[in-house]
Amino acid sequence: MATVAESVNYKGKVINFPLANQQENEVADDMLHENLARPTTERTKRLKARCRWKHASAGEFIDSEVRAGIERMRFITEAHKASEGQPEVIRRALGLANILNKSTLVLQQDEFIIGYHAEDPEMFPLYPELSYMAVQDYLMSDYSPQPKEEAEAINQYWKRFSMQSKGEGYFSKEDLTRMYQVSTMEAPGFATGYNSITPPYETILQDGLLKRIEMAKAKIEHAQKEMEKIPWNATEGLEWISKIDVWKAMIIADEAVINWAQRHARLAKIIAESFETDPARREELLEIADISHRVPAEPCKGLKDAFQAKWYTYLLCHAIDRYASGYAHKEDELLEPYYNISVEQKTFQPMTYTDVVEMVEMERLKISEHGAGKSRAYREIFPGSNDLFILTVGGTKPGYVDACSDMTDAILEGARNIRTTEPSIVFRWHPSGRVKTKQHVFECIRDGLGYPSIKHDIIGTEQMKYYSQFSKNKNGVTDDEAHYWALVLCMSPGVCGRRKTQKTRSEGGGSIFPAKMMEIVLADGFDWSYSAMQLGPHTGEPTEFKTFEQLWEAFRTQYAYAVSTVIRAKDVCRYFEGKYLQMPFVSSIDDGAMELGRDAVELSEQPNGWHNPITTIVAANSMVAIKKLIYDEKKYTMQQLVTALRANWEGHEAMRLDFQNAPKWGNDDDYADSIIKDFYEDIIGGEMAKITNYSGGPVKPVGQAVGLYMEIGSRTGPTPDGRFGGDAGDDGGISPYMGTDKKGPTAVLRSVAKVQKNQKANLLNQRLSVPIMRSIHGFSIWKSYMDAWEQLNIDHVQFNVVSTAEMKAAQQEPEKHQDLIVRVSGFSARFVDIPTYGQNTIIARNEQAFGANDLEYLNTQL
Amino acid sequence: MSTCNDCTYFFPVPENAGDFEPGKGDCVSEKEDAKGKYWLSRPTTNASISCPTYNKSK
Repeated sequence: MATVAESVNYKGKVINFPLANQQENEVADDMLHENLARPTTERTKRLKARCRWKHASAGEFIDSEVRAGIERMRFITEAHKASEGQPEVIRRALGLANILNKSTLVLQQDEFIIGYHAEDPEMFPLYPELSYMAVQDYLMSDYSPQPKEEAEAINQYWKRFSMQSKGEGYFSKEDLTRMYQVSTMEAPGFATGYNSITPPYETILQDGLLKRIEMAKAKIEHAQKEMEKIPWNATEGLEWISKIDVWKAMIIADEAVINWAQRHARLAKIIAESFETDPARREELLEIADISHRVPAEPCKGLKDAFQAKWYTYLLCHAIDRYASGYAHKEDELLEPYYNISVEQKTFQPMTYTDVVEMVEMERLKISEHGAGKSRAYREIFPGSNDLFILTVGGTKPGYVDACSDMTDAILEGARNIRTTEPSIVFRWHPSGRVKTKQHVFECIRDGLGYPSIKHDIIGTEQMKYYSQFSKNKNGVTDDEAHYWALVLCMSPGVCGRRKTQKTRSEGGGSIFPAKMMEIVLADGFDWSYSAMQLGPHTGEPTEFKTFEQLWEAFRTQYAYAVSTVIRAKDVCRYFEGKYLQMPFVSSIDDGAMELGRDAVELSEQPNGWHNPITTIVAANSMVAIKKLIYDEKKYTMQQLVTALRANWEGHEAMRLDFQNAPKWGNDDDYADSIIKDFYEDIIGGEMAKITNYSGGPVKPVGQAVGLYMEIGSRTGPTPDGRFGGDAGDDGGISPYMGTDKKGPTAVLRSVAKVQKNQKANLLNQRLSVPIMRSIHGFSIWKSYMDAWEQLNIDHVQFNVVSTAEMKAAQQEPEKHQDLIVRVSGFSARFVDIPTYGQNTIIARNEQAFGANDLEYLNTQL
Repeated sequence: MSTCNDCTYFFPVPENAGDFEPGKGDCVSEKEDAKGKYWLSRPTTNASISCPTYNKSK
């Protein structure tokens, strides 16, 4: 029998919570998630049953068939050797063309959206031109590309050309060694190869590549005429040389992409005519062939075209030309015009709403099969998933007009029906958003998917406008364009559209770890618990800090060093990317790069600088405990604290309990919250905002965690918040530490709302009561919570709706719980694919119920 | 010695295709594993020496 929430006395009435779906009374709490999937068609049911997930757990792929392919690294190397002496941007285009011309294509049974990025559906490509260290890791593993000797030779060839070799030369050995510890600072992008992009899908769908090629040709013709002008003026004329090379590279890349798509068309036709025996599927394959013959060469004419062109573009931008995590686009608005053609007007590729939901489910399953050749560290930090894939829906159009549509609803309905861990979804919440769509959002969350996560529409939109003022070419987004944004990865808004989007991770993304900084501040910058090295500047013996302010300033010094070092690493990487890792295909579909003849990696029009403080709350709670127990109450000395920490609290349990029981974040406690607000606004945001990055704008914090709260926790010694060494960090950017938010969900909101200044975004992870969310009052309560959240001007929130009983049952019998999905932090994961250490951190989060006090604060109408 | 040209899995690239070259073709093979059926297409030429999956055309 299912658990039903206890009654509540509210506004003079007894409120009962019967389940909204009475049939669920017969479903045991510990098997709920296994009863929620309902694929829309038999086809998507089959596709899910045979889905080739590429989940990793503790850095290892779960499916033993998953491995790296060799084709991409082979073909890019072949082209690089053959193109020596040519302009670098042309070499990059020829590299992409060689991959596309020679790679093996894959088409699977039952698929409608086709295309893959490696030579076998169980494989993924590698990128030796980025980081030889990341490839070396694969060569030493069971997932090595074969033949291994060839892969080793390729990796050796690229060592001197790679981004890693170029970037490392501009850092001291000391700084590099500190970054490679990944304990106060993330390793530099030039060593990890980790990347993010927001592709300008709009131009592909609206223009098609043939038009882009014509545009580039016209640009070259114009440039040549300018160069031939008499009298010759070198100060202007020579500038055309690099532009001509960029436009030529675009043409090479686009022609190769068209041929590659048309190779897919041929494959579908050959299967239809020579292999397939089912007449219906044969007809469908011919339709698939027709689509890939037309797109992305031509503009999309209907919704099926749009799904396919978008998928090809995704593969190119995120996996074939370069690796990039994410799935950044405003999917509902991007597809809405084609939805209207196919579903409303039925003038091309006529479809029903249900057909669209099936397409959404098929696209989600394509993503679920998408493997990423990430380095081990990045596989470790996304346990239970393939990678980060996050799309955005909802929000507003110019004038704060609701942007929700039936396309939005289809995306949400497909997600709820098929139940996959990826891609994750972000919903931009605005009061004008239609209730019908918010009901779909609720149903996804209620069913425990962990998504959509919710972003504050106004905060994100105004942020785009704010960053626009720093545009180096005075061409940042307009006020209207500011409304068209999506999350670049799990937390940070970035503009979408035909130009000005983020092209590489140097603009935003990357991490620093305040919990570990807190630890080394208490050891004069020395890391005694993990690396046994001086991990940051000398900031003084803590036992000699006479005032709390001295501790505060010591932390500031450690933080300022770390944040400047890691952002410098990002910008140095960007510098070399612009010279050696150009992206001619992406340039060809970016209106800015096309207009200006500049490579999209090098060009920056809209600044969007951010960096991720992860484990801030452990550090902040530690500050609170030290201030209270050492400097205010003087119950303990700094010497006693340092001694206890060095012993991992062993022999000091009473003292540890005092520190653990000190006021904690998330309880609307003025003592704790006033310190923590200052910590966020003065140090975390204040110091970061002093930095100017590659794009000319300030960098602001996007506090979040992904799986790094586990990885960093395991590398962080004991901390003054009462935490033992090795315990996980806090699981969000501004979430209370697991289990310490004891005053209910609205107290958490009131605490979080106090932090407003110098922030870009902060992830708030909340776990809500399953019986309440599944009751007849679930939507009303959640909607009133969301309305209050919006009015409190909180940037973000995401939810787990999963019972402890079900998670513990899954730990006992994982094979019976393959559909149990949880929100880790910024992404959702299959629970049974997460290591036990991580599973336990999710179980430890408080399951927030809504008492009468909460309902009164929210003014819930029941 | 047998070549791709004589194999049932060899499909010449049409002359109007963007990647047409004389003798160039697609080697299309059907595969099946525990997760289902799929097809692979590799570029080849009619003069290439046949591979282990060679299947003589009638």
